[in-house]
Parts: sequence; structure tokens; C-alpha cells
Amino acid sequence: MSTTTSTQSRRDAKTQAEKLGVSASLRLGVESPASPANTLLRQWTGPLTADLVRAPGEFGLGQVPARFKPDATTTVVCGFCSTGCGLNVHLKDGQAVNLSATSDYPVNLGMACPKGWEALTPLAAPDRATTPLLRNPATGKLEPTDWDHAMQVFTLKFKAIMDQHGPESVAFLSTGQICTEEMAFLGALWKFGMGALHCDSNTRQCMATSAVAYKQSFGFDAPPFTYADFEESDVLVFIGANPCVAHPIMWQRVLRNRRSPEIIVLDPRATETAQAATLHLPLAPKSDLALLYGVAHLLIQNGWVDREFVDAHTSGFAEFAEFVREFTPDAVAAKSGLTVGQIYRLAESVKAGKRVSFWWTMGVNQGHEATRTAQAVINLALLGGHIGKPGTGANSITGQCNAMGSRLFANVTSLLGGHDFANPEHRKKIATTLNIPESVIPTKPSLAYDQILDGIAAGKIKGLWVIATNPSHSWIGKGGDGEHSRPGCGSARPRAELGDALTNDAARMVESSRPTARARLAAPEAGALPVVTDLDSLLAQLDFLVVQDMYHTTDTALRADLVLPAAGWGEKEGTFINSERRFGLVKKVSRALGEALADFHIFRLVAHYWGCGELFREWTSPQAVFQILKRCSAGQPCDITGIEDYRHLDREGGVQWPLPKQSNQCLVISNQSGSTGTTAPDLDTNHYSLITTRERRLFADGRFFHPDARAKFLFSPPREVPEKPDAEFPFVLLTGRGTSAQWHTLTRTGKSDILRQLAPSELLLEINPADARRLRLRAGGTARVASRRGELTARVHITSTIRPGQVYLPMHDPATNRLTFPAFDPHSRQPSYKHCAVSVERVRKEAP
Amino acid sequence: MTLPADNFTKSASATGERTLVDTLLDEQRQLTAVEAFARSHARHELTEPHYRKLLPASAPRPGEQYAFEVNLDQCSGCKACVTACHSLNGLDDGESWREVGALFGEMRNDASKWSAAVSQTSRSESGIAATGFQHSRAPQTPDARPHPSSLIPLHQTVTTACHHCVEPGCLLGCPVLAYDKDPLTGIVRHLDDQCIGCSYCILKCPYDVPKYSATRGIVRKCDMCHGRLAAGEAPACVQACPNEAIRISVVSLAEVKAMSRSASGGAGEKVGKRESVTSSDSPSHFPTPSLSHLPPPWLPDSPSPHITLPTTRYITTKPTADLRAADHSLPRPQPAHWPLILMLVLTQAGIGGLLAARFTSAKALPLEPISLAFLFVGLTASVFHLGQPLKAWRIWLGWRTSWLSREAIALNAFAGAAVTSVAAHWLPALTNHYSLITFPLCALALAAVFAQSMVYADTHRAFWSLRHTAPRFFGSALVLGIGLALAFQPSARLAVALLLVTLLKLASELSVLKHADTDSDRWTQLRRTAALQTGVLRPVLAVRLLAALVGGALLPFAIATGAASTTLAVSAFLLCLLGELAERRLFFTSVAPDKMPV
Repeated sequence: MSTTTSTQSRRDAKTQAEKLGVSASLRLGVESPASPANTLLRQWTGPLTADLVRAPGEFGLGQVPARFKPDATTTVVCGFCSTGCGLNVHLKDGQAVNLSATSDYPVNLGMACPKGWEALTPLAAPDRATTPLLRNPATGKLEPTDWDHAMQVFTLKFKAIMDQHGPESVAFLSTGQICTEEMAFLGALWKFGMGALHCDSNTRQCMATSAVAYKQSFGFDAPPFTYADFEESDVLVFIGANPCVAHPIMWQRVLRNRRSPEIIVLDPRATETAQAATLHLPLAPKSDLALLYGVAHLLIQNGWVDREFVDAHTSGFAEFAEFVREFTPDAVAAKSGLTVGQIYRLAESVKAGKRVSFWWTMGVNQGHEATRTAQAVINLALLGGHIGKPGTGANSITGQCNAMGSRLFANVTSLLGGHDFANPEHRKKIATTLNIPESVIPTKPSLAYDQILDGIAAGKIKGLWVIATNPSHSWIGKGGDGEHSRPGCGSARPRAELGDALTNDAARMVESSRPTARARLAAPEAGALPVVTDLDSLLAQLDFLVVQDMYHTTDTALRADLVLPAAGWGEKEGTFINSERRFGLVKKVSRALGEALADFHIFRLVAHYWGCGELFREWTSPQAVFQILKRCSAGQPCDITGIEDYRHLDREGGVQWPLPKQSNQCLVISNQSGSTGTTAPDLDTNHYSLITTRERRLFADGRFFHPDARAKFLFSPPREVPEKPDAEFPFVLLTGRGTSAQWHTLTRTGKSDILRQLAPSELLLEINPADARRLRLRAGGTARVASRRGELTARVHITSTIRPGQVYLPMHDPATNRLTFPAFDPHSRQPSYKHCAVSVERVRKEAP
Repeated sequence: MTLPADNFTKSASATGERTLVDTLLDEQRQLTAVEAFARSHARHELTEPHYRKLLPASAPRPGEQYAFEVNLDQCSGCKACVTACHSLNGLDDGESWREVGALFGEMRNDASKWSAAVSQTSRSESGIAATGFQHSRAPQTPDARPHPSSLIPLHQTVTTACHHCVEPGCLLGCPVLAYDKDPLTGIVRHLDDQCIGCSYCILKCPYDVPKYSATRGIVRKCDMCHGRLAAGEAPACVQACPNEAIRISVVSLAEVKAMSRSASGGAGEKVGKRESVTSSDSPSHFPTPSLSHLPPPWLPDSPSPHITLPTTRYITTKPTADLRAADHSLPRPQPAHWPLILMLVLTQAGIGGLLAARFTSAKALPLEPISLAFLFVGLTASVFHLGQPLKAWRIWLGWRTSWLSREAIALNAFAGAAVTSVAAHWLPALTNHYSLITFPLCALALAAVFAQSMVYADTHRAFWSLRHTAPRFFGSALVLGIGLALAFQPSARLAVALLLVTLLKLASELSVLKHADTDSDRWTQLRRTAALQTGVLRPVLAVRLLAALVGGALLPFAIATGAASTTLAVSAFLLCLLGELAERRLFFTSVAPDKMPV
């Protein structure tokens, strides 16, 4: 080869480097195999090679693609899940050209999951809504219109409905995906400005249980932990959580734990997290509540309780101890399918005296007795005194990027800032703070999500505004049928009020017209609506449906009368609150396409056109609203009056609530962090301690937010699952996340080629080899899965990670969600997606 | 749903005033992040990177090279490595040089890390249980294991990229020297501007690493972020793994060789001579006792490492030997490569025809020119397979190692001889030497078809081994050569020859189907091929058989038994041609290489 000379010189360079020692050799060790000159026969460089050249990116980035070399960078908090990672957006002329994970952000320490890495891609999708769309009554099609017209139609229609049917005849369904300031604006506009009442958001589908459980147990919706607790636990217990896939960056923190922790996973499936655990307890689906009570029984029985903590800081222990007497290991073993030894082992692992942290997510939250289950976890933490100390806590891992913002500031279930609509003092405080008449603040609570849908079914709610969520895809089983949430409803067949005939029709449509994600992408305008669920038939009953979304092709937007084009994450400013209560900043780094407007701007427009703009004259920008929210939070557990402004958040890498004005804790640290900007802290010592002081947990003083400052032991006898498997539907269907590359209804992640490649191209049914053998299912073959509410076909994936008698389907296909049984937790009204009865059969005619 | 008849007042914008909508749209278009915040981000130096311990302390010495090392125990399946490679290397939509797959299986309870000690503790601790609770007595044999007598499910995510092999298949197969293995780092780089887009490296790489880009007309592949390594930075995937599961290590080439050969059960010598032994065929992956103390550095249910000596090491404490990819029993058809199908079948027809003109009773005219036409149409078809046809002239450059170069050289030489042969009919100067061309023509024909066969045999795919490929390729030349001769000169002898050759070729082709008959859990490459041919590719197989049986057996039989007619003979040839095209389509689509888990 013609490279001999350069080889020789590189060898010399290497020898020289070796003399210089290790770090030098790292930099010089092997000089870049700089391409030799082109010859007649061999072209080492040229235009195709140039496309892949990397160059130093500066700004601490290391090398980046030369084509995307930034002229500035800025940190933006990610807009998918609640982990709240900092993403370093690479800017060129102010416009985002690429991104990487922020290395000094205290949440993710330089890492991101595939969704974060691809966060910019969905912004450029061809099906972005770029102009308001209004359904033409003559053609039945959505046609472009301008904002002025759209806003006039919006106000005219909603006002007409409210005039005719009263203020309770309209509702909105919102999201955990928009900024806190936008949520607050929407809630305030709706209730104080427009005089409407009913509203809820998709956080009902994911976090309502945690919110209610915390509020009842601790006196405030206050997840107590900080991510450092992952690193500081001796024992981590994951209950119905699969962070390896759903929250990969939290799992990163688990792996940084230097205490050789015991990791226990309670999950019916052998998930990725279960595989990585030191102990996987594959309990029977929905036996979690009994199991947790059984563990409490053993803790109390064996004296493995921190009596000092329990006596000083809790109430209801005696009743709880009496209650759990009947949850003997044998009884619990029979119910959960675990052995008595396993239950002992679990109890012993979580006894007092160690650093034990409990982490739960949707496996708990989406259950028919979810709130009590979450509280059973909290009870275990209270028993062991596992709260307020490093590496402890009863910790709910949140779902969406701003579910926490929704819980505290959306003005939906609680009055702005975690206040109570029913409390006259709270109403007075907020009215004064906002400088609005107290009379505009409703005293009644809003209907919950399922009740709003019931209201549509009953013809009481006639106008609906859907913001940044996709209920046509995500809502559970049979529409808003709330009957089965009542205790003792047993396994009765679902009420047929919506018409079984329709169910069957819908089932046929699932069979015949379910397009692949790609086909749906390619032909969104084709007029063929993907899946008709019962929710869709409810939407069709509305007089007026407005959908405000980034895309005009979501399952729900396709059914709208009016589509309002929204700017997305990265195209607007605001804050998200992550799982560990950290306010993070979203910045405008990309131009929204066409006439899409930030949700904040859309709410300003609505206020203006509705005629209540005067009420919101102070609400001019997200920053301004942030200041308003600070005032609302004053004196609350979530007091953030100590946060100055957005720049402060940016400087700190986010700030956890609470940060009352008096506190200067964070400011001191901010000085430290500022001074370390130019030095290179050693990751293992200085930097590490810096990060831990930037992370704060609640209840270090053992004082909870109830008036008596005590946490409550709350409990109820476990109830049977509402739909047990039987001869006709012999399998339990479990549902959940598919892969780390998929987010909920795929409206965004489905727009990235690379993310699509990281997920199966078809719906996969996980089934145990024994069941597959019995049903003569072939790996890669086709199976039909049916419940009393619908059916679907899926590719068979045979794996022993799922137990016999159970099957698993990811939730990213609307057909999955409509199989599920519409049971609701009575306290949180969260739907129970995780358990229903299905049948599975082989489809002989294999799909190609 | 109805909407109001719209009689709205026209907005102020119609009158030229600035409305709130205008203001907000303007505001929406301002990008403010830089002014508001970027200043505080501008000072960043590259801080001490977290990945320092994931890079080797020193550069490779002679006899060593850089390699990826994947700690499977650390990999939790987040797939960030794939997206980071995509973003940090500025790749095209959907392009990444790293892929993630999964292996599934079960492990025995006693192999589990938590089994034994657990029950011991439970017993002793529960012994102190207080009284007063019913059934609270410690059980006699508390057992923390879920299924005391069964297996524990195992699900292992696997991340793979280029293995920067010691003997890279891509590099050795590339006909244009578009690959370079750096002598110092061992990094196998692709020279994008040298590439002609023939995609042969994709077939040559057992790991499916080079990826063809239709928009660019070339392949691209992982370069281990060589520039980053040179600057002391970690490759994109190493930087981005939250669990520090990927690192760069320095490996000894001798060790890689020993490991690879032992991992494939000493199958290295069998390369190219018979069906290569693949890891999924061998029950144990590390049978060599001397290496048994080492953790298996290679994956189960993936291509055998003996072919190219990959340098990536997969480290695990789990018993992974019996794991299988999720699609282990789910063979998928491979691309048909129509230009290649046409090239192979038509050049073979041309070669056969030109030889038939010399060795059968058929008259050289018009058989020779027609055969030459087939040859040239076939050669032309091959150009349509290239992404960069203008650079096709480079194709001979790799002749030292590449069978594709050799095929091109042999075919073109044969074409030269063939042109001479045909020209001899008209050029008096050559006419007298017509018979002198026979030997070179035959030798080049043999060489060309042999090279064609070796192009595929050299990929080490079981179904493309010489045993399967040579009978097909030489058989095509025979069938179509005789068929052409028959079409121009129907005769009983030619008909019988066609019938015999066809039946022999069919027998050879159908022999692969016997691999379908097994109840084993293991799927060999040939079993997958058989399953594809009798499964999704059944219609192609049916066309192939029908065309051959009618065109190569029934019609020749009729001709041989006295029904000689030009129509029948031409029909026989055309059906044979159709049959060979279908056969070649099966050849490409039903090959089932072992692959990395996806």
C-alpha cells in the first residue's frame, strides 16, 4: 500500500507519545489516520467523504459533525418523560441544528435516552399543523383558515353552547406535555375567564394516583425524593416500574450506586429491570396490595419497625397493625403466587435500619385500587422510617415531562399552587394574588376525565377542547363507562349502553383497516380514520370538538371540527417540573412551522377573543406568568418564591421545589457551581458532592404537611380485580411501554426514522412458550387477541419473560388500549390499564 | 356536527392595523434563546470527560489494535448508543452505525446470582418472629426462588457495530479498494469517494455492518469515530451509554485469532470448502478446554467469528450460550438484486451458447452472435446494480483478494474472446484461426463461471457455498447453452442432453429442501433456506419447477421422440430461461445468513 511513509511517521508519533505518559498518549497516541492524498486509482477524499467530517464543536462539546458545527449552545430540558434531562442544543444563527446531552446538568450527567437524542426531529415532520383547520360542513373535510376566523369560530361556538346548556356543558382535556405557565394560563382562562368548570388532563391516566396518595398520606402532593437517592440506597425496591426502558436515565443513576445495593423488582413480567435486579419477584398481576400488606405484617410481627419514627411522625399505626394481622405469609403467598420464603426475604430486605427506597410507577398507578396500593408502599417506608434520609423514600416516578406541573399549577383538580377550590381562604388568597374577583373562582370540583366522557355520553357535555393529548388513541376500553369503578362490581359484563353492535363494527375495522405506523404517516389525509374506538363515537356526539396539537394527523385531530396548530417543545419558552420536583427550562431554539403558535399564545388569543383579556393583562409572557405562579406558591409546601427568574433556573441546572424566598441554600450553591465553570472538577469527588448538594429531598425533619405534621397510615381491604380470566377469556392482558424509543401515542416518536427502527414495526404479543405450544402459535406468526371490548391481531413473540396465563401488549397501539377494562381507582379515578381478561387464538392465514 | 354559517366580522388585519394575531405570530418567529441564555453557556471548555476510564490507557502496540468491548451485564437496553451515533456523526435520516438487538432464553436456577444465600438468611431471620400471628411460623424450607424446579427467563440486549475485524470480509471482498485497515489502530475505514456502490461488502460482512445509502449510491459504515479517538475523545456510542457498557480496549491480534477459532469450534479450516459451521449449528461455543477459564467474548446465535476474526468482545457473567435471537426461527427473504439475477443468468446463457456453438451440431450462425448478445445484455445489467456506475472502471483494482474483481476480469476477458470468435465469421484475417480461439474461450468461460461462483461462496453463507452455487451457475450455462443450440437446431441429441442436464440440476437444487425436515429447536442456515423456499417463496419455487419441467424435460422429451419443431424448441429455451431466472431469484432471496441479533 502507498501508506507506508505515513505509517512510519505515525509509529514515530506513537512512540513519542508513549514516552510522554498516559494522558498525553490519550491525546497523541495515534494521530488521526489523516487521509493520504488522492491518487489516480484511489480516492481518499472528496465530496462524499466530506459529508462525514467531524470537527471540534467547542462549547465543551468535543467533536461534532462539521456540517452542524454550532456558533452557540444552550441547555433545554427534554420534553418527553419526567426524568427531565438537560439537552445541550447546538445552535447556528439561533436555530437548533443538533443536540447532545448536557454533561453538567444535575439530572442526567451527560446522558440521554433515544427520545431525547431525537427530540428535534419530530419538529420538522411533514404533518405538522401549520395553519388553523376548520371542518367545512359542506365537504366534511378540514380546510385551512386563518387565526382570526378560527378564534371567532372558537368563541362563537363555545359561547353558544354555554349560553344554551350552561357553563357545565363544555370541558377541556389537557396534558402533561405543555409548560407549567401554559397549563396555569389554560386553567385560569377556563375557570376564571371563560366561566367554565369541567376540565381534566391526561395526567389522570398516569399520575392521578400518586398525587392523591401523597396528598392523603403526607398532606400535600409531594414526592419526597431526589435522584441522588438512587445512588445512596442500600436497597431499592421497584414496584410496577421498568426504568431500564421507561426511564433509562434514572437507571443510570441506579448503576452509579456505589453501595452494592440490593435491587428488588416486583413485576409480573421479567422486564429488563427485573433482569438487572438482584431479586425479581414475579407476583401475580394485581396481587401487589395484598403482598405489600403482607410485608407490613412481617415487619410489624418481627419488630422490624422504626418505632421511634412511627411514634413521632405518623398517625394510624395501631389501626394499621391490626388491619395487616390477617395478611399472613401463607395467605399472601397463596394470593401472589410467591413463596413464603420470597415474602420473608422481601420483608427482611426493607426492614428498619438500612437505607431503603421504594420506587413505583404505572404498574401501581394504573390499577383498580391504585391509590391504596401506592399508600401501601408509603406505609412500608413509614414503618421502616425510610423517609427524609439519603437513599430512602416512597417515591413515585412520574410519567410525562410536566405531569408534576399539571398536578400543582394546572388549576384543574387543585387551585393554582396546590390550593383547594373548596377552601375559602385559598380562594381569597389566589384572588388577591391574581388581582381578580373572588367570585370568578369556582367552589365546585371539576369532573374527572372519565366523568367528562360520561357527560358526553349522557349528552350533558357538548363542547370539548383537547390540548396536546390524543385520547382517541390512549383512552381505556369502553369510553367513559364509569360503572365498574365502584367497589364490588365484580366481573360483571361492561354496561352495553354504548352499543355492543358498535363494538363489533369497530372490531371489524380494527381487523380490516389498521394501518402500520408508516402507512398512517404516509396517508394521513386519506380520510380513512385508523381505529374507531368507543371514545371516537363519543367525540362524534359532540357539537364542537377543538383539537390543539403540533400535528393535524393525530387520531383525535382527525376527528376535530377545529384544529389549532401549536408550536411544540423547543419552539417556545416555559418550565417543566420533573419527577424530583425540579423546575427545568424550555427555550425557543427552533422556529415553529407556518402559523403554528405556542400554546401560551393561543391562550392569549382565546382570552382576547373571548373578551376576558383584561383579566389576564399581566399574563403577557411565560416569564410573567412564572412570576405570578411564584406568588401563588408563597407559603405552600411547593413555595418557589426563592427562584428569581428563568436565568436563575438556567444557571442552576434547574431548581427543586420548595425554595422559599428566605432560603439561600441554593444561591450559595449556585455561587459554587458558577466558580467551577472554568475548572475541571474531578467527577468522583468535587463534582459529585456538588451535584448532591444541588439535590434536595423532603421531610428530613419528619414533619409532614397534615395539620398535625404527621403522615397517615391509610389502607383498605384489597378488592377483587373487576374482570377475572374465565373460560372464554382465559388470559390476563398486561400492557405497558414497548421500547425506550417510543413515547405514548407515537405522535412525535413515530416521526423519527431512527426511533422507528428501534421499535418493532408491528404490534408484538408476548406470550409464554407453554401457552404458545398449547395454542399452536408459531414465533413470528399471527395471533388474534380479543377481550369483551374488542380484538386485534398481533405478531407472536414467544418468551418466558411473561408467565403462563398472561400476555403482554405495548400501549403504543390504540387497539391495545381498547381491549383494556375500564375500571377506575375510586380515589384517583385513574384508569386501570394493567389488567383485563382476553382470549388468544392462532390466525391461520398468516400475514405476509 | 354542524358549524355556524359564518358571517364573522372581518378582522382588523384586513384594514391594515396590527392585530394581536400579527403580534403573536411575530413573537413566535423570534428565536430568543441565544440572547437570553447562551452567554452563560459560551465559556464551556471540554471538562474532564466522564468517559476517560472507557478508553485505553495507551495506544495499540505492534500486534495490537483498538476494539469495542461491550459489557452485556451493564447494557439495559436503552438504545441511546444508536441515536447518539446517528446524531453525533451527522448521519442521514434513519442511518446509524450501531444497532441493538436482543437474545432470549432461560437460565437454570442454580446459575442465578441470588439463589442460594437467600433462603439461608430468610430461615434464620424468620426464626426470631414474634408470636401472636397466625401462620407466622417460619416455613420448613423457605425458598426465595420463584420456580424451584424451573428456569429463570433471561433477556439480554445486545449492541453491535462494526467489529473492525482482523481479516475484514468487506475489505478483502471490495473490488475497488474502498476499504482501508489502519495499520496502527486496526480501524477499518470505508473510503466513501472510492466506493462504486456495488454492495458486495454487505454480502461479505457476516455482521451486516456496511449499509447502502440509496440517495448517495455508496455504502457507509462505522469508523470507530477515529478522529475522536485521535483527539482523546470517546466514540459517540461510548460517550453516550448511560451505563458505561461500551468501551474501547486494545486487543492482541493473536488472542483475537485464537479466540475466534476456538469460538467456532476449529471450523476455520473448512472455510469455503463445505458449508461453514456457524455458531448456531454448534452446540457449545467454547469447547476448547484451554480457553474455558476465559469468559466467552462472543455472542450465541450470531455469525461464527472464524470468518473475519471480529475484535469486539462481549463480556458477561450470565450463562448466555443457549440464548437465541427473537427471530431465530423467523427467516426473512433477502433482497432479490434483479440486476445481478439478470447479469448472472444472461452471461451464463451467453457463455453456454458460445460454447455450444463449438461443441454441438448447432450452426455457429446465428447462435454465436445471439449468445454474444446475451452476454452483453448481462454485462450491461450488472452496471445497473452499481450506485456509482461512472466509477465502474475501478472494478479490477481488488483482484488480489476480491472474487468480484476476478469475476469482472474473467468475464471481460471472455467477452473479448467471444467478440473475436464472432468476428471470425466476417473478418477473413481471423476466419482461419477460428479453431485457435476454442481453448482460450473454454478456459475463460470456466474461469468466469468459477469466479462467479466464488463471488458468492466467498461470503461463507451456507446456501452459497460452492457445493450449492457451482452446480447452479455451471448448470445454467449448460442448460441455457444447450437450450439455445436446440432453439436454432432442434435435434434429438440436444433434446436428450437438455433433459438430462435439467433433471440433474433440479436434483441438485432440490437437495437443499431436505434440511426442512427436522424437529430440532436449532435453525441452521440451510433449514432457514429450505423453510423460505417452501414458505413465503413457494410461488417462486413453483414457477422454477414448472418452467424447468415443461421447458427442460417435457418439451425436450417431445422433441426427442419425434415432435421436432422450431416452435417447440424455442418455447423450450424460453421456459428454461424463465426457470433459470426464477432459480436465481430463489438463490438470492432464500439465502439465510447467520446474523447479529436484532
